[in-house]
Amino acid sequence: MAHFLLESVWLVPCYALIGGLLALPWSPGIIRRTGPRPAGYINLVMTFFAFVHAAVVLPATWNQPPYEISIPWVSTAGLNLSIDLEISSLSVGAMVVIAGLNLLAQIFAVGYMEMDWGWARFYSLLGLFEAGLCALALCNSLFFSYIILEVLTLGTYLLVGLWFSQPLVVTGARDAFLTKRVGDLFLLMGVLGLFPLAGTWNYTELAEWAASANVNPTLITLVCLALIAGPMGKCAQFPLHLWLDEAMEGPVPSTILRNSVVVASGAWVLIKLQPVFSLSPIASSVMVAIGAVTAVGGSLIAIAQIDIKRCLSYSVSTYMGLVFIAVGTQQNEAALLLVLTHALAAALLVMSTGAIIWNSITQDITLLGGLWSRRPVSGIAYVVGILALIGFPPLGGFWALLKLASGLWETQPWLVGVVVAVNALTAFSLTREFSLIFGGKPKQMSDRSPEVSWQMSLPMIILLAFTLHLPLVLQSLSLLPSWATLNKDVALLLIWSSVFGCSISSVIYLGNVIPKPIRFPIKPLQDLLAYDFYTPKLYRMSIVLGVDLISKLADMIDRLIFDGIVNLVGLISILSGEGLKYSTSGQTQFYAFTVLLGVGVLGMLVSWQYWGVQFLDLMF
Amino acid sequence: MPIQYFLLLAAALFCIGIYGLITSRNAVRVLMSIELLLNAVNLNLMAFSNFLDSTEIKGQVFTVFVITVAAAEAAVGLAIVLAIYRNRDTVDMEQFNLLKW
Repeated sequence: MAHFLLESVWLVPCYALIGGLLALPWSPGIIRRTGPRPAGYINLVMTFFAFVHAAVVLPATWNQPPYEISIPWVSTAGLNLSIDLEISSLSVGAMVVIAGLNLLAQIFAVGYMEMDWGWARFYSLLGLFEAGLCALALCNSLFFSYIILEVLTLGTYLLVGLWFSQPLVVTGARDAFLTKRVGDLFLLMGVLGLFPLAGTWNYTELAEWAASANVNPTLITLVCLALIAGPMGKCAQFPLHLWLDEAMEGPVPSTILRNSVVVASGAWVLIKLQPVFSLSPIASSVMVAIGAVTAVGGSLIAIAQIDIKRCLSYSVSTYMGLVFIAVGTQQNEAALLLVLTHALAAALLVMSTGAIIWNSITQDITLLGGLWSRRPVSGIAYVVGILALIGFPPLGGFWALLKLASGLWETQPWLVGVVVAVNALTAFSLTREFSLIFGGKPKQMSDRSPEVSWQMSLPMIILLAFTLHLPLVLQSLSLLPSWATLNKDVALLLIWSSVFGCSISSVIYLGNVIPKPIRFPIKPLQDLLAYDFYTPKLYRMSIVLGVDLISKLADMIDRLIFDGIVNLVGLISILSGEGLKYSTSGQTQFYAFTVLLGVGVLGMLVSWQYWGVQFLDLMF
Repeated sequence: MPIQYFLLLAAALFCIGIYGLITSRNAVRVLMSIELLLNAVNLNLMAFSNFLDSTEIKGQVFTVFVITVAAAEAAVGLAIVLAIYRNRDTVDMEQFNLLKW
């Protein structure tokens, strides 16, 4: 039985896909009598199957060598594309996390989407996401990873654009699609550029190739930069980060999934490609630089936001930046640990804030306050989410950050500074959000705010428990870095930075010393951070403006020059007809004249050879 | 007196006829110009007949036919001119330009 389940673990993505397809008939236009709810229940059942299947298989894969499956897909002259699957404890574990988080997000959505008719579309897209992410976890081929990433980009477009009657949703979905698409297209360049070098797209074979490859450093740097660009867009890294901010227009349950898992899909590909990146030191430095800039910038921006969801979305960019740093410094295990702990903590934070939004309507944290006494479950979930995300022992985030920072301690101490600073800033911003939502006095919007129904609080509590148990689970699987070998200075630094960030923030926002709303002494700087470094303006002034101008120019050239040339031919024909018809003058004598002229000219031509030379001699 | 002189005279007469044919505004003068052309042709025929075919004089036979046909053609031509004149009350060639573009 266990063996059979192991062999058929590739069914896990199929469950979700089938669930997604089965949800579609409950679109309001097809089945009108039952209402949309069965779509959600079917998806829940299928996701539950997927979760159970993956969870049952996971112990069987433990301490086993990876089991590989190769399904031929296309075989043409000189190119054999096969769908390579790798069933290892890592991929099955990732599927457990994905299916588990999706299950919780779907239960949450049963409550959250209560007063919505669009369940069929929503749940089928959640099913698509789960299928895509699980397939990405299983997939052992760069080419098929790229295909799945593209499918998920389309999925993001549709899911962000769920409530498409809102204008901001439409622009947000557009930006989410185009920004990620640009990254994916660069990734495609990298994928295509890698094949002639390595001759394979299989990650395992790529790693073997990279171990002993001897290639032109410029070439491999360019290929690696292109390969970075894809995850850069997926993980919402600078400068391709605006889409995640605008994707917060989508429904909260999908945000749970996006913030925790979807953005990590780019990081997954990045981690899988790490052996290739290690061929190019420049690419690794670029990755570290992007990650560091995004981590610091994102955590600073998160502090200056007033939208409850956007505070969290910039923290997601921040943590993905830390993953970039980890991969750039060849610390795959730290990166994977970071992805795992961040997924749980971020999902918990979004669930908690989603529950707040559902009852308090506003997303503006300056209009909320004083919810701690009346919303204890959401509040505790939020606190645990904070502590699990930042470096606070013994929760998961601490171990991931500690592993990352101790790996950097010897080689790049300044990056430890970045990690510690980011940790402090994130602690500050999350505590600020907590203080503004749960602390202080109730404001008008949060005056009467009951706790949410069980459909929303149950997954929150389950996830809360998982988050709390994560260190124990990791320890039992001996995945935690052992305390003896870790750098205790770094651990102290992390703990102190967390305590520092949290306490300063709570003193500022919970104390009454500083008047609210807080004005930063330098107003332009506050605005700069609040408006995300004016990234929309930057886009509009650079890329969008350039493409817009070029397309207008191309349109003009097409209309005026190319269309003009073709139309000119027609016009000339018309005008020549119009003009030449006057040769038919109606005068018989004119006709006679033209006949004579024709005869005369023809006669001259025919007889030219007999008199032409003499004529020319005579004339000249 | 060589044949060329006859041919040149005929050509000159032909050209005069052509000039009259194209430039005359009076329809009757156009018919007269056509008679000039035919006579120029007759001169050619007679000249060739005399200089090149003095035994069988086929040219002279042709000339007789041309004169005959020319007379018939002039009759028909004048009839047409009369018919047009009855309709349009003029013989000005420049008024007969109805069949244009």
